[in-house]
Amino acid sequence: MDMTEQHNEAWRSRRDFLRRTSGLGGLALSSLLAADALSAAPSKEVNPLAMKAPHHAPKAKSVIWLFMEGGPSHIDTFDPKPMLEKLAGQPLPASFGKPVTAMGTANNTLMPSKRKWKQYGQSGTWVSDWYNHVAQHADDLAVVRSCWADGLNHVGSVCQMNTGSILGGRPSMGAWTLYGLGAANQDLPAFVVLADEKPVTGGPKNWSSGFLPGTYQGTLFRRDGAPILYLDTPETVGAKQQRSKLDLIGKLNRQFSQQKEDDTDLQARLNSYELAYRMQSAAPEAVDLTQESEATKKLYGMDEERTAKYGSNLLLARRLVERGVRFVEAYCGSGSLWDAHTDMEGNHSKWCGASDKPIAGLLTDLKARGLLDETLVVWGGEFGRTPFNEQGDGRDHNPWGFTIWMAGGGIKPGQTLGTTDEIGLRAVDRPVHVHDIHATILHLLGLNHLDLTYMHNGRAERPTIVSGNLIKELYS
Amino acid sequence: MEFALNRIKAVCLASMVCGLMLPTAIAEPATETKPAKDKFRADQRRYWAFQPLNPPSAPRVADSAWVRNPIDAFVLAKLEEKSLKPGPQADKITLLRRAHFDLTGVPPTLAEVDAFLADASPNAYEKVVDQLLASPKYGERWARHWLDLARFAESDGFRADEVRPNAWRYRDYVIRAFNSDKPYNRFVQEQIAGDEMWPDDLEAHVATAFNRHYPDEYNAQNLRQRRQQILDDVTDTTGAVFMGLTFECARCHDHKFDPILHSDYYRLQAFFSNVSSDDEFPMLSKADYSEYQRKLGIWQGKTAEIRAEMQKLLTAARTKSRKARYMAYVDEVQQALDKPLPERSPIELWMADKAKYFMNATDESLAAGLKGEAKDQWKKLQAELDKFKDLHPGQVPKGTGLTELTATPIPTHVLSAGAYNRPLDEVQPGVLQILQPGPAKLEPVASGSTGRRTALAKWLTAEDNPLTARVMANRIWHYHFGRGIVASPSDFGRMGERRTHPELLDWLAKEFVKNGWSMKQLHRIIMTSNTYRQSSNYRSDAAEKDPENRLLWRYHRHRLESEAVRDTALSVAGVLNPAMYGPSVRPPLPKGMPDGAWKTSPDEADQRRRSIYTFIRRNNLYPMLDVFDMPDTHLSCGRRGETTTAPQALTYLNNEQTIDWAAKLAGQVLQQAGSDPSKQVELVYRMAYSRQPNNSEKDTALTFFRQHQTILEERVKAGGKVVTPATKVAGVSTEQAAVLVDFCHAIFNSSEFVYIN
Repeated sequence: MDMTEQHNEAWRSRRDFLRRTSGLGGLALSSLLAADALSAAPSKEVNPLAMKAPHHAPKAKSVIWLFMEGGPSHIDTFDPKPMLEKLAGQPLPASFGKPVTAMGTANNTLMPSKRKWKQYGQSGTWVSDWYNHVAQHADDLAVVRSCWADGLNHVGSVCQMNTGSILGGRPSMGAWTLYGLGAANQDLPAFVVLADEKPVTGGPKNWSSGFLPGTYQGTLFRRDGAPILYLDTPETVGAKQQRSKLDLIGKLNRQFSQQKEDDTDLQARLNSYELAYRMQSAAPEAVDLTQESEATKKLYGMDEERTAKYGSNLLLARRLVERGVRFVEAYCGSGSLWDAHTDMEGNHSKWCGASDKPIAGLLTDLKARGLLDETLVVWGGEFGRTPFNEQGDGRDHNPWGFTIWMAGGGIKPGQTLGTTDEIGLRAVDRPVHVHDIHATILHLLGLNHLDLTYMHNGRAERPTIVSGNLIKELYS
Repeated sequence: MEFALNRIKAVCLASMVCGLMLPTAIAEPATETKPAKDKFRADQRRYWAFQPLNPPSAPRVADSAWVRNPIDAFVLAKLEEKSLKPGPQADKITLLRRAHFDLTGVPPTLAEVDAFLADASPNAYEKVVDQLLASPKYGERWARHWLDLARFAESDGFRADEVRPNAWRYRDYVIRAFNSDKPYNRFVQEQIAGDEMWPDDLEAHVATAFNRHYPDEYNAQNLRQRRQQILDDVTDTTGAVFMGLTFECARCHDHKFDPILHSDYYRLQAFFSNVSSDDEFPMLSKADYSEYQRKLGIWQGKTAEIRAEMQKLLTAARTKSRKARYMAYVDEVQQALDKPLPERSPIELWMADKAKYFMNATDESLAAGLKGEAKDQWKKLQAELDKFKDLHPGQVPKGTGLTELTATPIPTHVLSAGAYNRPLDEVQPGVLQILQPGPAKLEPVASGSTGRRTALAKWLTAEDNPLTARVMANRIWHYHFGRGIVASPSDFGRMGERRTHPELLDWLAKEFVKNGWSMKQLHRIIMTSNTYRQSSNYRSDAAEKDPENRLLWRYHRHRLESEAVRDTALSVAGVLNPAMYGPSVRPPLPKGMPDGAWKTSPDEADQRRRSIYTFIRRNNLYPMLDVFDMPDTHLSCGRRGETTTAPQALTYLNNEQTIDWAAKLAGQVLQQAGSDPSKQVELVYRMAYSRQPNNSEKDTALTFFRQHQTILEERVKAGGKVVTPATKVAGVSTEQAAVLVDFCHAIFNSSEFVYIN
């Protein structure tokens, strides 16, 4: 067979294939066309964010990812290790080998947790006294104690928790979600990132659309002033004036589009200005927390200084999912502030303190509004921390074993899954890799991570790269 | 069909084909099996991309009158096969704007439009093409395309995102290379091995920065892993950019579709096994540099004692800082650092060289930690030292690129699953085994390095290399038409796009080589063809047969890239600062960007330079460029996205900068057209769109003028601010001037402004 012909065959088959294999066919097809042909074909999709059919019935409509950035210590929060008491002050037993750590601390002695631990709820879920408020929701949580990841440093590990790869350039889970499902609210960005302190480690590549079309990327809401760059009309422009100018732009663009009706890009451009205009009013309304009652604000800890920032972000997160935003990532301690290489006590007292009440408030509020069932809440960092000390009172990075938990959104609550070894260094029973977490989140949203593909550089790329197993115990 | 689908699933599950269902598997001949001794299937050996260039002569066509050059014959032949007719020629203005945008990234000026319209000679258009190719703006436009491929950025990425202060020299080098029409074969050789092949040519050394633009983490603790990440980037980029192949698929296993073996990946990587970044080489001739050193020697002699005293003050802090950083490294690196220089193996030399940058804190940072008496002492000594300032010859201009630390190469191994710590067999440098099974022939080079990269550069640019010329000819076609003959310009493999015009591609590539690899000559041939001159108008009969215009029955209308959008606005506003070259500039950031992303360039004129001179920080791309699909710079980009989003609209709509540019345009219009709104509208159209408005457009504009004036009068009455041009013209009220500003601003936001038609 002539190679040219054969290639053509393959190309047509890809379309056939996508049409036949899943509900995603139409979506993938149009995306392929968009990516393949920059030509103005009449078949081209005008709105890449239009709602799309999921692969299977979804359990969750939205995700709120509570990202404790810098690495929260699992062995001081959700994974108690009494053995550490016994081994306190001793070096890592030889049987554990010598892990390569970020700061070369593997020769340091083991350091037990100073926390008081209790079992909570009917489920008897263990939670330390750093998370007293979250503990009240013990029966809502599914705690996974056996997570592991590939990176050793913040930038790679935060990137992996978001995109699956420690190297930048791949789409984040939020971007894959929009690619798969579209947006439920066309007046707001459908994938929103909230940071509470410094810029998120690694920056925008963590919410990048990677090789997917740019329209799927996350939008970082700014803390002060307008939540989106250039959202505010400059003070030299009045509301009527803006509308009048937009009307003129619309007329100019329609005049240019005459005789070019086939060109859907031009149509999309017309629409983009109207969306921008709607966003100008919708986004400020969505972020306007003054519309909330004092009781609600209090629930999120907005009345206390140490919880006010994260509390207001989580209240905002609720307002966003309420308005159909698909994916909200709320970073706590953004800029690696959970990174307790020294002074575990001081550091985690502060950040657990900053997040405990707001997270509990969020769960209470979502539940009260009937939103918890359709909102998947994920808690975790990019890795955990080591059982051996660093500089006497800190802990180093630990990607070999750490904890996340999920709640709502189809999660079977009140369970604890997997274990780390006796000192919490490595996941041993039911290890769960980052890719498995991603596959599961997408599954709950109604997407099969194996079928969610996008052709890039000759490879049908998917969110979990070459791996990913569903953590079925979490939802069935 | 059912069977075929099952088969793909089986293939994928069995081999974990990167875990994917790759539909091309369907097309694989099911019966063909691998011959025992051949690593490649017959169909792989026959695959077009690996065959020598073999252009047939231009085909015969029925409508031979339409054929201006062989390109047209190739295109028309395909159209006629489908009973399609080519489109009519675009009108003069459309053609002029297309040529200007395409070659320079900015629209023609009024004078250029008038001159072209007045030129009735049959070769008026050809003359314009030649003028534009000779314009320095050409290099500024086309260098940007190359920078996409080179994943050019001026910072490291990763957490620290450290600035690369000399990276801009590479950008200038590329602009100069395009403007001087440097033959592409020479250009490629310089990218790969400029330091080896022309050791005395500073520009050639700067060129090697092509493979220095990898994202990097300077404070990584595991240097062997860091080195592997760098080498993977270099291998992937080199394979994609010059050969149009997705080498990265062979990092862990044989490529599933293309004949790239697992070992091929590491054979290609082995050419680069010895490279090390060379970030501070002096950009001075040998003579100038020795003169510099002579002067520096005088200063050093006179200040030796003072400086020694100063260093003593820092000794304790330096030791402490070094120790802390030393401890952070993995054992292997510590051991390398412990060894005396002559005992270090090549990889240890590499690791120690990298550690050097991390371990050596600067005097300034250490001195900042001094306290009490030591601090006073330091200040005193510093003042002493300053007295000799006049003797100091100043900072040497520095370049960045690649070098090799030793002539003994670091061994390269095939890596199991691509993991840096799972080496399999050692490999020697070599090209794709389907083309040349043995190792590459290495010859000694003058620069004292391995000569490996020279061998690769020579292979890539050999006249019989089937890949290099085709890939580049296709890229040039892609940038002219918005779509390549192979629409995936960095993937000529089987998962890439199918060629629309195979014979034409070969013809172009051959012509390219025949003309001494001249890019300008190739532009000229393409742009003077009738194919390029077609109108972009839609024809339903043609669209029915070829909806995606693959056969080129019309010109493909497309949006300008981010840089060209901004440059066009600056240019039409009359405020574009034409200064070329030099360190990058930092235009103002919008409110809400992270603090410290950058400090705005203090000189206002620097904020109006062409976009190619805007600083590129990997972790914080300039929003105005980023929003229009600027590549993210972590990976080579052969084809940009072309999205249309609401944030793009917001960025040009609610932006004090673009409003200011509109005021500048309005100021020019007022000065030249005076107070007559009708004349104002005409002039805005001519300046922004290079044409007169038609009656209906004029009506729209004048209606807007009236209605908008009322709105602004109310606003001013209520104490609201409006933006007006600096120029005041008799008979034009503040509100009327402000209306004109808004009109100009709307024009900047219009589709016609940002589309190549």
